[in-house]
Amino acid sequence: MQQKKMAAPCGRMASRPLLQFLSRFSRSPVGNTGFRQFSSATVCPVCLQRLPVISADCSPIEQQFKQMLHQIELEKSVLSDHELRLLEDAEKMSRKQADDYDSDEEDSHGDKEIMMAQDLEDIWEQKMKNFQPALRVRADVDKDLTSAERCLADSLVLLAEQEVGDEKLWLLPQTRWQEGETLRQTAERALTSLPAAGFKATFLGNAPCGVYKYKLPKAIRTENSIGTKVFFFKAILADGAPPKTKKAPFLWVKKSELQKYLKPAYMMKVERFILDL
Amino acid sequence: MNPVFRKVQASVAQQALLLNKALTPCRAAPSIQHPVWCTHSVNERQYKGMPTHGIGRWKYLLPKQAPRKKKDKHQMKRIMSATDTAYGTLNVNVSGYDMTVVEHYSQYIHNFCNRLGIKVADSYALPRKSTEVMLMQEQGTKTYVDAVLKTHHRVVQLSTLNAALCPVFMDVLLKNQPEGVQLSVTEHTEADFQARFKARPELEGLIAQMNQ
Repeated sequence: MQQKKMAAPCGRMASRPLLQFLSRFSRSPVGNTGFRQFSSATVCPVCLQRLPVISADCSPIEQQFKQMLHQIELEKSVLSDHELRLLEDAEKMSRKQADDYDSDEEDSHGDKEIMMAQDLEDIWEQKMKNFQPALRVRADVDKDLTSAERCLADSLVLLAEQEVGDEKLWLLPQTRWQEGETLRQTAERALTSLPAAGFKATFLGNAPCGVYKYKLPKAIRTENSIGTKVFFFKAILADGAPPKTKKAPFLWVKKSELQKYLKPAYMMKVERFILDL
Repeated sequence: MNPVFRKVQASVAQQALLLNKALTPCRAAPSIQHPVWCTHSVNERQYKGMPTHGIGRWKYLLPKQAPRKKKDKHQMKRIMSATDTAYGTLNVNVSGYDMTVVEHYSQYIHNFCNRLGIKVADSYALPRKSTEVMLMQEQGTKTYVDAVLKTHHRVVQLSTLNAALCPVFMDVLLKNQPEGVQLSVTEHTEADFQARFKARPELEGLIAQMNQ
């Protein structure tokens, strides 16, 4: 999961004249001790994940096994207090209705309990019928890619459409690293600077979870900027669904759907650290 | 071995052929039984016939453990402190109403730590806490007890956690968290350790008297 080897530069992202323009002006050696020497060609995207809300459905074998285990447990189990009470009450009723019933023989309970166990059960059944659980899977919400409520059984990743050079690409939301801040702070800034977002997230640790390097096409390369290093950070979406804005260019996608949106070289690095458990 | 040879010598006159046939397996047996012969104590019985005698013995291979005295107070394990690259002793606390789910989840965490090579210092359960659910009666203003819910806790104590491994670890734990189970990761303190013991009011009273 952690990348131990540096990736060989693979593929070329779209040309980035804007990038190169900025790097000429703002590039300067970082003087802080304890900070690594990053050039401003470092970018920190944040991999914001929405955790699964409900457990995934069992496969057929798992369902069969579950049923079998349940049956075994039921057959091996002992009667509970409530069930014992039910049996006692049923016995008492049958004895009362028998012809040779003598009420003096019964143990004096004083005031007979008003609530029979069967009545309690009926009351509980009624309450159960009144309770409407929410639907586990809603087909219409599942298809809406912008909603954070889709596919409750899977974990989703946020994708934003951002301008990289000339084209608009679907990427993990990112910003450029600035001097004097740690990589994690850059990633946090990337999250807060998303337009109309208001996502609240908790970052998992200070260490990045993935790296991607790419070289700029030869036409734009200068002495300063040959390429870009991309450090990915993971974050978990905190509770509280953000207000949905229809025009915001965000998508919540599952890992299997990532391939449709990301470039192949980028996708290769990203899918290494996104867990699809 | 000696009784076998004595038997052979005694009945040599009667059944020479049969005994010769029986001798060869007996002669082969001593070389196999030899290692067992050396390690047995005088009082143990040895069945001499079977070549596989003593094949299942394993307790002699275990290291000798000092017998534990009952009077030993429970010593607290050393609490590791955080360094630049690793967290110190952490408590992963799993709690919920359904005991089977909580236990299975804590077992899953423990197995996961073993697989990743994270050292698990301790794995214990805290006493359960009962919560009474009181509902208002429909006709009156009194509340009555509707249900009793018991919250179970399980704690997996990790001695250290590498800071680079932490995001991966937390990610997997959060993604596999079952419904109805709360997960919390905190640092372990001595107060946490002492909270597990029962209070002994008489002892405390006596100590207070002594100190006065």
